[in-house]
Amino acid sequence: MKGGISAKAGGAGGAKRGGLEALRQNVLAFPILAWFGLFVGIPMVYVVVVSFLTRDDLGNIVWQFTLDNYRRIADPVYLRIFANSFLLAFLTGVVTLLVGYPVAYTTARLEPKRRNLAIGLIILPFWISSLLRTYGWVILLGNWGIINNVLTALGLIDQPLQLMYKFGTTLVGTAYMLIPFMIIAIYNSVDKLDKSLLEASYDLGAGRWQTFFKIVLPLTIPGIAGGFTLVFIPALGLYFISDLLGGGQTVFLGNLIHTLVNRGRNRPLAAAFSVGMIVMVILVVAICSRVTRSKREGFLL
Amino acid sequence: MKKSNYITMGILLIAVLVFIVMTSTRDKGEEINLMTWGGDFIPRVIIDEFTKETGIKVNYKEVTSNEDMQSLLEANPDQYDLAVVTDYMVDILRQNGMLEKLDKSKVPNVKNVNPVYQGNYYDPNNEYSIPYAVSTSFLLVNPEAVAALGAHPITSYKDLWQPELKNKIVLIDWSVEIIGLVLKSLGYEYNETDPVKVAQAKEKLFELKPNIVRFETNTPEDSLVNGEAVVGFMYSNQAVKGQAANPKLQPVFPEEGFPIYIDSWVMSKQAPHKDAAYKFLNFILQPETAARIAEMTKFTSPNKAAEPYLSDEFRNNPMLNLPDEVAENTSFYIGVEKVLEEYEHIYSEFKLR
Amino acid sequence: MKARVNRWQIIYLSVFFVVLYLPVLSVILYSFNANASTAKWTGWTLDWYRQLFNDRVIGQAFVISIEVAVLTAIVSAVLGTAAAVISLSLTERMKKAVQWVMLLPLLVPEVALGVSLLMFFNALRLPFGHLTLVLSHSLFCVPYVYVMVRLRLAEIDREIIESARDLGATKWQAIRTIVLPLVMPSIITSALLAIAMSLDDVVISTYMSGPRATTLPVHIFSMMRVGVTPKVNALCTLILLGTFLIIGLNQFVNIKSKPKGVV
Repeated sequence: MKGGISAKAGGAGGAKRGGLEALRQNVLAFPILAWFGLFVGIPMVYVVVVSFLTRDDLGNIVWQFTLDNYRRIADPVYLRIFANSFLLAFLTGVVTLLVGYPVAYTTARLEPKRRNLAIGLIILPFWISSLLRTYGWVILLGNWGIINNVLTALGLIDQPLQLMYKFGTTLVGTAYMLIPFMIIAIYNSVDKLDKSLLEASYDLGAGRWQTFFKIVLPLTIPGIAGGFTLVFIPALGLYFISDLLGGGQTVFLGNLIHTLVNRGRNRPLAAAFSVGMIVMVILVVAICSRVTRSKREGFLL
Repeated sequence: MKKSNYITMGILLIAVLVFIVMTSTRDKGEEINLMTWGGDFIPRVIIDEFTKETGIKVNYKEVTSNEDMQSLLEANPDQYDLAVVTDYMVDILRQNGMLEKLDKSKVPNVKNVNPVYQGNYYDPNNEYSIPYAVSTSFLLVNPEAVAALGAHPITSYKDLWQPELKNKIVLIDWSVEIIGLVLKSLGYEYNETDPVKVAQAKEKLFELKPNIVRFETNTPEDSLVNGEAVVGFMYSNQAVKGQAANPKLQPVFPEEGFPIYIDSWVMSKQAPHKDAAYKFLNFILQPETAARIAEMTKFTSPNKAAEPYLSDEFRNNPMLNLPDEVAENTSFYIGVEKVLEEYEHIYSEFKLR
Repeated sequence: MKARVNRWQIIYLSVFFVVLYLPVLSVILYSFNANASTAKWTGWTLDWYRQLFNDRVIGQAFVISIEVAVLTAIVSAVLGTAAAVISLSLTERMKKAVQWVMLLPLLVPEVALGVSLLMFFNALRLPFGHLTLVLSHSLFCVPYVYVMVRLRLAEIDREIIESARDLGATKWQAIRTIVLPLVMPSIITSALLAIAMSLDDVVISTYMSGPRATTLPVHIFSMMRVGVTPKVNALCTLILLGTFLIIGLNQFVNIKSKPKGVV
């Protein structure tokens, strides 16, 4: 039977053919949904439920329904924290995209042996503890760090550059930590491009940039969307980078939730913030998919 | 993919599985499961000596916070014997009924514990905990650098607000500590609930913001060592490391008062190896052992009998060996739960300025 | 196909690699720092390497982490690829459902995942250790495999599969000989990423490891309270060396073999 095409046909004509046909088609999905639904559903339900509860002085959860936690979130201070985190995550996505796209594109067009080496070299640093690599940035960017020392030795500056403890520093650290996801996502998208399309475009007289913007970019939008999602979501939750590189000067969602769960002993409020974070992500991903909706599928909802 | 690749992957997988089976530890012989921070907080050397002497294996699970230990203990109380937790957590665990009432007859060396560190709020009758390490927090100052900035010498919290110290202060990143510091500078007590006093503290706190270059809980002494800060509020073991790296750094014990923390041993009510655990506690409380532990971990030892065994250098350094009179004037952060939410909110607002 | 990679692109790529490896080089450099903290450089020493070799604990933690990471990568690769391939032949609505379910593990905060799985696995009386670690790690690694494989699967020429089917191949045969080789690069790169993520996980690993096991990242993070020593830098330098050797060997073997193209 025709496996792939009947997916589309089944979609359109599914209503006509009835639930049984759809069921037969979807039967393989159920184990997946069951497995992940169970393992991830439970934490999700736990978070949502706890966000409506309260706690006693010792920090133990008290089974008493309340909207207090959500009321507390709707407060200018906390809303600013949401905005900060959104900004950081969004900018991280943008930065990793701008920096990572050319890397992915170039790598995909290398010869196969060089290509594998390049991919390996891109992923390799991420096997080293992220904490240590963030300390590595501290060593590089500090007032008495390597960059300042080199620039001073070369006589290019008199005073050390104040590179640390700024929003930009946290952005650099976060983007650095998440860029392989963007690169690999785009790489997978670019790599499967039909090269004959590009050849045809050049043969028809289009320049390199034209070909890029009219053909390559549109075709790799799924890769961009996938990469952006895989970067945006973790960027919302990371906190030790802003502690180390940002000097703890700004509060992000990750810091807040972490503090509330641990020393704050306030799991319900932390859960409410987590729900807020989840809602924000769902909105962003949904908008992302609407904006980039195309007739072709890829990773998009 | 080539067949050879499948075979390689298959061999790799089998090798890993075999390796796992071979190296997985079985419960043979006596052992105890203890849980606390890493970084050699309980020196491995000492643990190895215990194992050599008694044949009891020690499983040391490392965690990153008191709350981790609470979660793990509450989920699996029958899998852990001992844990070292900070005083407030002893209080919580005790009230939650997680702790075993210690049978002192099995730990005769408990008589070595300094009475100054006993009978406190979290364990008034000393039934549930045995102190392990004592630390405080205070100011670490670089007097030369402070003078070079044109500021008055720092002798108390009040001095931190000098405008000459702009961007030169490093603080531990915890709302209760920082607001506590401000409260003390105003002459109030820790964890104040009076709204008028809290509002005052909030205003004073906001004024401090420009002076702070960094918030850092783990290694604040680094900022003093590399010069980006000239004064810092940090824990005693961190201050010790700072001074070791730069002998010019001096501790300042503020006259308004400063906090104390006691990390203590507790035993799970459903501990699986109670007798072995008691043996371990008794071993740790031996005077010489306790002295060596203190020297290695750089915390004050709550073991009075250990004092003669301390090196002169250790004994005479108030950061390392807190004198009893000084200890009696320190305060715990009691009543945190009443103020936590409000303090956290103030602190968030403070950071966003 | 001619590789049209010009000089500017190579320069950009090279600059990128330099910046990518700068922090890594700092890590390596400071493994030789005589001072225990990164605040100051006080001279060269091999002491940390000596200490590393005598440290059974960090060695044990490292071994556990590698075992868990490799198993996680394999499990995630299988599950993620299966989900991606299966989602090809689903109805539109089911496809969306699967995609959202695949994204869910990334949405939930790690601490919630850790605590709730702790309670759940407890209720199931599962032994805490390698099993629970691999199960929980693969939860957050599968989405990455799924996304990467899905990216490559999109637009797979259905006609190829059609022809294979018409020539008598079963669905499984078509998948094995056509689809899988095509997505293999995605599977491998995302498996490598899975290893990286598993080796770095702290929060979930704290809850999922038993009383006897501590994983490497937890060991490192739990050191933070008293300061991370360059011993860890030494370990990371050795890990890097090891993987460089493997990559080098791989390249060497490849040069000897006939050029085969895709992976």
